[in-house]
Amino acid sequence: MVNEELINELKGHIINALHLEDITPDDIENDAPLFGDGLGLDSIDALELIVMLEKKYGIRIANPAEGKSIFKSVNSIAEYVDSHK
Amino acid sequence: MSMSIVITGEGVVSAIGLNKKETLSSLLKRQTGISYPSVLPTNHNDLPVGEVKLTNDEMKSRLGVKDEYISRTSLLGMMAIDEALEDAHLNANSYANSRVMLISGTTVGGMDTTEHYFAEMLSENKHLKCIESHDCGNTTQMMASRYPFVSEYTTISTACSSAANALILGANLIKSGQADIVIAGGTEALSVFHLNGFNSLMILDHQQCRPFDNTRAGLNLGEGAGYVVLESEEHARNRKADIHAYLTGYGNACDAYHQTASSADGEGAFLAMNSALAMAGLSPEDVQYINAHGTGTPNNDESEGVAIRRVFGGNLPAVSSTKSFTGHTTSASGGIEAVFCILALQHQFLPANLGWSEQMPEGITPTTGADHYEVRNVMCNSFGFGGNDSSFILSVRPSEGIALKFGDKKIKVLSRVEIDENSDLSRIKEYVKPMEVRRMGTLLRSTLLASFDALKEAGVECPDAIITGTILGCLDNSEVLLRDIISSDEASSSPTLFMQSTHNTIGSSIAIKLNCHGYNTTYTQGDASLEWAMRDAALLLHSNQAKTVLVGCHDETTEWYREVMNKLGHKEQLHPIHSVALVLTCDE
Repeated sequence: MVNEELINELKGHIINALHLEDITPDDIENDAPLFGDGLGLDSIDALELIVMLEKKYGIRIANPAEGKSIFKSVNSIAEYVDSHK
Repeated sequence: MSMSIVITGEGVVSAIGLNKKETLSSLLKRQTGISYPSVLPTNHNDLPVGEVKLTNDEMKSRLGVKDEYISRTSLLGMMAIDEALEDAHLNANSYANSRVMLISGTTVGGMDTTEHYFAEMLSENKHLKCIESHDCGNTTQMMASRYPFVSEYTTISTACSSAANALILGANLIKSGQADIVIAGGTEALSVFHLNGFNSLMILDHQQCRPFDNTRAGLNLGEGAGYVVLESEEHARNRKADIHAYLTGYGNACDAYHQTASSADGEGAFLAMNSALAMAGLSPEDVQYINAHGTGTPNNDESEGVAIRRVFGGNLPAVSSTKSFTGHTTSASGGIEAVFCILALQHQFLPANLGWSEQMPEGITPTTGADHYEVRNVMCNSFGFGGNDSSFILSVRPSEGIALKFGDKKIKVLSRVEIDENSDLSRIKEYVKPMEVRRMGTLLRSTLLASFDALKEAGVECPDAIITGTILGCLDNSEVLLRDIISSDEASSSPTLFMQSTHNTIGSSIAIKLNCHGYNTTYTQGDASLEWAMRDAALLLHSNQAKTVLVGCHDETTEWYREVMNKLGHKEQLHPIHSVALVLTCDE
């Protein structure tokens, strides 16, 4: 189980990094898909999230293809951060 | 038969040679110039690059240049232009009777100098004067000042297709009778800014690039310059010049798909290659060699392969990407590769595609080179960010399909819209969805608002061409990225800010939103940027290549930039934001 604190922190970072001006942390469900049908993010957003993880958590993702599974939802990002910190 | 455009001189500098002779030798020996950076001061020592192994001081001493703040971009350009002019045997006599222009492509401009001094400019207010050499237009101005016979010059900044578009403009200026000789090409220096930006887009291979290979993992960034001397065949014959090649066809189209990715069907590339063939009056089977854009990124090589197959069918000519020798020299690539193509025509050989070993499923199979090969017509592809796709054909003999005839009908302004810091930019949401607006900086918002307002007022849904002018592009983004590089010690920075710092993001954003595949180009020449955009629009309208053209000039300044300019004693008023957009047409 990932902690709520990390989840909320991540939502803040995602909103900032992706300039989601009209969205609040509460609008993002922990398990909802971020790409495609969910929040509607695209490939540039995936790159921004990779930079965000490097800047905020010192985690480097070398292969952009890995991003697909990591960035499925806020929960999956939190799990990844938790296990790579 | 109308006017044929010929090339009578070439100059080239890249990682595989400081001149044509060294370049030819490296191409024939299949010797790559990719190495680890040793001149560029960067922490990214693990990224292979195509670096010219001369320091700025070494180039200055070779060129006899003393200017402290001159950019590496200008220095590389001067080396190549010096060679091109000598190669064309232009002398005082030919200059005296000719109108000579310099058309140069660049994206980074003076960024290498700016990033070198930026920390000191911020903390100690030192070297502020270096900011005057920052903009792309200045790098061309510095080059032009070396050649007193150059009467007019301009800069094209459409990312990696810039030099190819410089050749296209140069040919059109000669055909329309506005110039006798045009020195056209491009120059680009490696910079930490550029390397870091491409790295944040995750399209750099950490090994040597392998264009069209199944295991390709990205590009290697390169630097260099390539210029050709263009003139009409008649002008060349009158001065008894040797004709090295004919520029028989060219075309530019916009993929209008994505800022950094090419579409799956390669529509923009397909349109550009087809226009080039149509102008030259050549069939696909007349082309013996394609110098592909072939960056080595998974996306480009797949999309370009699809586009080449759409044009050439099952009967493909030999194809290679010489970026395996030089790295991707971005804005300079069209100029450098034009010189490679002319060498192939003159010496009848095929440049190799290095590093290829594993076939891409359904991809094209590049040539591993041939020392002797009959080459009469070669096609050269150059594709840039924003889907700015250009293709041109060089031939040993003249050939003509579509002749451009330039009239002088009156240009009509259908609408004109101006926006500044007092305008309500939130109105952009009338045209663009919030999810698209969110990542646009102020300049992109004002550009799109002015452009769409102007099109609406003119009653034009999609113009035939989009021509943009800008002095500094998205300056706010560049400044944030530069500050980031200093504060984070070259850690990855925002890919969004980087792609928007490329000047033609402005014009391609309009094209992508309108799905406009027409001619798309960007001028950046200080206060003359709008004038050049208008001049190119007139060329298109007068030759019936377009019925309607959206022209604009868009600029922003940052607080820091205004302060520096003020300290340097510049008196003109600098707007935080300024956009002007016009829709032009021509009397029937």
